[in-house]
Amino acid sequence: MKLLKPSWVNHNGKPIFSVDIHPDGTKFATGGQGEDSGKVVIWNMAPVLREEDEKNENIPKLLCQMDNHLACVNCVRWSNNGLYLASGGDDKLVMVWKRAAFIGPSTVFGSSSKLANVEQWRCVMILRNHTGDVMDVAWSPHDVWLASCSVDNTIVIWNARKFPEIVMTLKGHTGLVKGLTWDPVGKYIASQADDHSLKVWRTMDWQMETNITKPFSECGGTTHVLRLSWSPDGQYLVSAHAMNNSGPTAQIIERDGWKTNMDFVGHRKAVTVVKFNPKIFKKKQKNGSTPKPSCPYCCCAVGSKDRSLSVWLTSLKRPLVVIHDLFDKSIMDITWTLNGLGLLVCSMDGTVAFLDFSQDELGDPLNEEEKNAIHQNIYGKSLAITMESHLSSTIIENPEMLKYQQERQGNQNPNGAQGSGPENQTPKLTNVLNGESLEDIRKNLLKKQVETRTADGRRRITPLCIAQLDTGDFSPALFNSVPILPGSSASTQLTPQISSDSSTANSLGLRPSHDPTTTSPNKTAEENKDSGPAAVNSIGMKSNLLLTSASKMEPMKALDSRFTERSKATPGVTILWFHLRVKDSSSVKEPKVKDETSSDSEDKIMAKPLSMAKRKGEMEGAEVVEKRKKGRPRKDFFSRTHVMSVRIKDKTKEPSRLITPVAVLKLPTPSIQKSFSTQVSTDAIAYLEVENEVSVVSGARLSQLKWSRDGREWDTLLTSRITIATGSSDIVAVACEDRTLSVFTTCGRRLIPSIMLPAPLAALHCSGHFVMVLMASATLSVWDVQKQTALVKNESLNPILSGTDATVSQSFLTQQGVAVVSLSNGKTYCFNSSLETWNLIADKQDSLVQCADFRNCLTSQDALGSMGPLALTQGRNLSAGRLASRLSSTPHHLQQGMTLAFLENQLSSALMLLSASEYRHWLLIYARFLVNEGYEMRLRELCQDLLGPVHKSSSSSWEPTVLGLRKRDLLTEVLPVIGQNLRFQRLFTEYQDQLELLRLK
Amino acid sequence: MAKVQVLNVAVLDNPSPFGNPFQFEITFECMEDLPEDLEWKIIYVGSAESEEYDQVLDSVLVGPVPAGRHMFVFQADAPNTGLIPESDAVGVTVVLITCTYRGQEFIRIGYYVNNEYTDPELRENPPVKPNYTQLQRNILASNPRVTRFHINWEATLDKMEDSENVDPAPNTMLPPTSMPSKAPPLGLMPDNSMDCL
Repeated sequence: MKLLKPSWVNHNGKPIFSVDIHPDGTKFATGGQGEDSGKVVIWNMAPVLREEDEKNENIPKLLCQMDNHLACVNCVRWSNNGLYLASGGDDKLVMVWKRAAFIGPSTVFGSSSKLANVEQWRCVMILRNHTGDVMDVAWSPHDVWLASCSVDNTIVIWNARKFPEIVMTLKGHTGLVKGLTWDPVGKYIASQADDHSLKVWRTMDWQMETNITKPFSECGGTTHVLRLSWSPDGQYLVSAHAMNNSGPTAQIIERDGWKTNMDFVGHRKAVTVVKFNPKIFKKKQKNGSTPKPSCPYCCCAVGSKDRSLSVWLTSLKRPLVVIHDLFDKSIMDITWTLNGLGLLVCSMDGTVAFLDFSQDELGDPLNEEEKNAIHQNIYGKSLAITMESHLSSTIIENPEMLKYQQERQGNQNPNGAQGSGPENQTPKLTNVLNGESLEDIRKNLLKKQVETRTADGRRRITPLCIAQLDTGDFSPALFNSVPILPGSSASTQLTPQISSDSSTANSLGLRPSHDPTTTSPNKTAEENKDSGPAAVNSIGMKSNLLLTSASKMEPMKALDSRFTERSKATPGVTILWFHLRVKDSSSVKEPKVKDETSSDSEDKIMAKPLSMAKRKGEMEGAEVVEKRKKGRPRKDFFSRTHVMSVRIKDKTKEPSRLITPVAVLKLPTPSIQKSFSTQVSTDAIAYLEVENEVSVVSGARLSQLKWSRDGREWDTLLTSRITIATGSSDIVAVACEDRTLSVFTTCGRRLIPSIMLPAPLAALHCSGHFVMVLMASATLSVWDVQKQTALVKNESLNPILSGTDATVSQSFLTQQGVAVVSLSNGKTYCFNSSLETWNLIADKQDSLVQCADFRNCLTSQDALGSMGPLALTQGRNLSAGRLASRLSSTPHHLQQGMTLAFLENQLSSALMLLSASEYRHWLLIYARFLVNEGYEMRLRELCQDLLGPVHKSSSSSWEPTVLGLRKRDLLTEVLPVIGQNLRFQRLFTEYQDQLELLRLK
Repeated sequence: MAKVQVLNVAVLDNPSPFGNPFQFEITFECMEDLPEDLEWKIIYVGSAESEEYDQVLDSVLVGPVPAGRHMFVFQADAPNTGLIPESDAVGVTVVLITCTYRGQEFIRIGYYVNNEYTDPELRENPPVKPNYTQLQRNILASNPRVTRFHINWEATLDKMEDSENVDPAPNTMLPPTSMPSKAPPLGLMPDNSMDCL
């Protein structure tokens, strides 16, 4: 065994809490305390392993340091594929780092050390959920999950394929959770906490498998960490700090029955960390001796607060080696090299030690095949661990299921192919310079850059984007690709170093001659190039400057403080700017609001007397909205209706006056025009033309209504002036000044005698055989003129209008005869005639709508959205998920809940609006969401409702259809969605079979 | 953690006559799209003795800033000579570049500036009243002094809707006199002040 303490691995004397060797063995990470922050450093492994590399100055030791953690870093762990590094710290955050391969070495700007970051690792994901310091993080086998534990007593399981999704929060510990380890088979995760317990959790359902307390009951005192470890064969779990007969031990827990009969004894103080060697060993075959079949064994390193390290082989009763006084303070973390022969240990004292064993000492490591054979012997075929491999080894029991699985894989493959090229393995900064060299751009940057003035006269520069960052690409494809190979470091693709032409000469000349950064080849070249007059010149200047600075020592000192202190100017100006901004934004906001309300009221009027849009929509009486939706330029729309809108503006004031404490609700009524025409959206375009006061016969005024379609036309005369005329594919309805309503067929035959309305008309809509009137008295009626029945009778809008100062901004009638009323406060209601209630179907301010994130449940067709009354009221570009991304910090379960609630709202609203197509649309999204998020109970309930009773019984109240859709047909559509998740394979089979059975009947 | 990292500041047109505008080519990298602009400022320290003589040469908004690496040139007029104490015109002073996000300063880059006469005769016998036309400004570009401050990059959720109406961080509201003279303002720890000289 060789022992080395590489002194250059340090955090400037600050404690190192964690160390982890990269799976490819070329580098390792340390985590701990930085100057005023947490610190993660990535080091080159080669100088540790080989003395000649350590001495060779051209081989970098430090590869990258990241001080982004705000507080001490307690744990750093590489993902098994080596692509990611996870770090957890006292700042309650887990950060996931990924290598960005672009310009190779770059110095940290302004850093004194001039040490280059040879590799660029950047934080691609910040996982926020813990409310206390994160003590340990652990990647599951195959990197399906990332677990983190915290002093907030919880363990969070993150979906490593879809950060920052939380799979589960494991609650149960009553003390600070200080260590985590995954079962190598992937069936369990174990945690150890200050609450004198070690808990084992199942990954199948994330419930607790066992709670071991006995060996820990005596544990007093606290250790900073309790890093436990699972043996590579999965048979043993070894705890950190445990007690046996008042002596500190590392408890061995057998997988079989979770028995606690053995322990590692000998340390004088609490065990802080246990780490199994990743290899399984067998006895070294000595030359000459007969090969005897020997039992394979494992190797385990134990570190303690007593500052000593012991290494054990499970085949020996005594430790292989014990090293005392290796450190000045407690051991904090241990990591093995993947070949199982090297070991790095870090300590609170800020140093690390490397132990190098030989195969003679440890034995012959089993190769992967042999290791797999052992796993298979113990666990049978299902040593599968990951979701993927777990699924692939799950026997697909149903041919239909197989089909859907294959389809799913087929869909994924194109993506996979993209990410699998070797160039794509390391994330890149996409160059966006269009072939122009950076130097060229820099020469003209000042001239070229876009500078504008803001409204308050401030300069605003649009920065030139010289490279786009790929942030957080957690596609499975990337995850599955092979780890970065040692040779593929970024230094091969150096792009021009950023340094100014004018300043380079100076800075190089002024740099002390013992500058350590002579490693970068292009830098030295630059230096050589500049070694001419420029350098001489600048040296002269340097001496000049030094002279003057010496004579001005006092002010220099005074100036020094200015570098770190914020000057008065900064906050002062900032505040001023702040106020300006506030003013600015509010003044921008206000007109916007005004604009909205006014346009709302325009819509309202438009929808009434003048809804003359030349547009064919499926939704009669809602032409205006239709138009907005289709993104028609509004300008010409306005110009045509200019006269109208002026009047409307006056009108908008009315409602606010009307909504007085007297609570007499009144809706604005349209005014009478001399003549107007309107387009009725039917199969073919039909026009309604109205001419008031057309002829005066002995003092009586008549009004003419003219209807034309495809050359066929009719006209009729009415005695009173017509205020509103509208039509549908079946009927034409006109309202007159004298509060009468007349209804005609599309052939001009009067269907019913004039209906006398109780109040002047505010809005009139037709759809199919239905007529909806909204009266100025804020009451609503809907009739079916074919059946001659009232669906809604003088229903007051009071319930929805009272208590708000909102006004009716829009109203329409669906083809199923459901009246829908939107208010200016963004809420939309429909009246359900069977319940006789107003139901809220849309609310623009609803935070659920804004926070729900179901985008991943949308298929490409779905993304186009559904057509129907619900979409109409909620707006085509449903803002759903708008805030979702901003909410990435929201706990996942919260967002999950919001999305679920939102989707269920949508479903019930579609049902209420009798909108079959939308119901189907949302049902499928809902099902997909349930499948993705694993809501089995709800999914089962949904399926059960869609399937109905298999055997007919008179008592069942099950309706076979919903909104005219056959429920079992819907189920047939939902089942493939369920079939995409093998987890629900049983559910799928169950309903698939029953459906098949019913079909045969 | 800081969403914006300054990668490099190149001092352009340096050394140059005193009256020339300052030009800094700033390269920075942003981890994610910033919903709001960055505000950059150049502050010229007129006198080491007192902050009273600080001049904000200019401030610009920089935006929009999507995730990625960006650069721009920040040009600002030379300081108003009328505001510089005559005794401090020649010699060493400091120019600061600061950047704020949502009104919070998160980085401060300082350079020593040496103002000297190029003419040896003037250098030997400087006039009592500084002759700014003969003065050369030399920014010690090789030695930036970078101080980073932790700030709150996220508008917290509840503040999201009305973040514009929220007062700036209370720290920045403190009257300057209440600030400790040598230490950074409360709650704003320089997280790695790098000493180069």
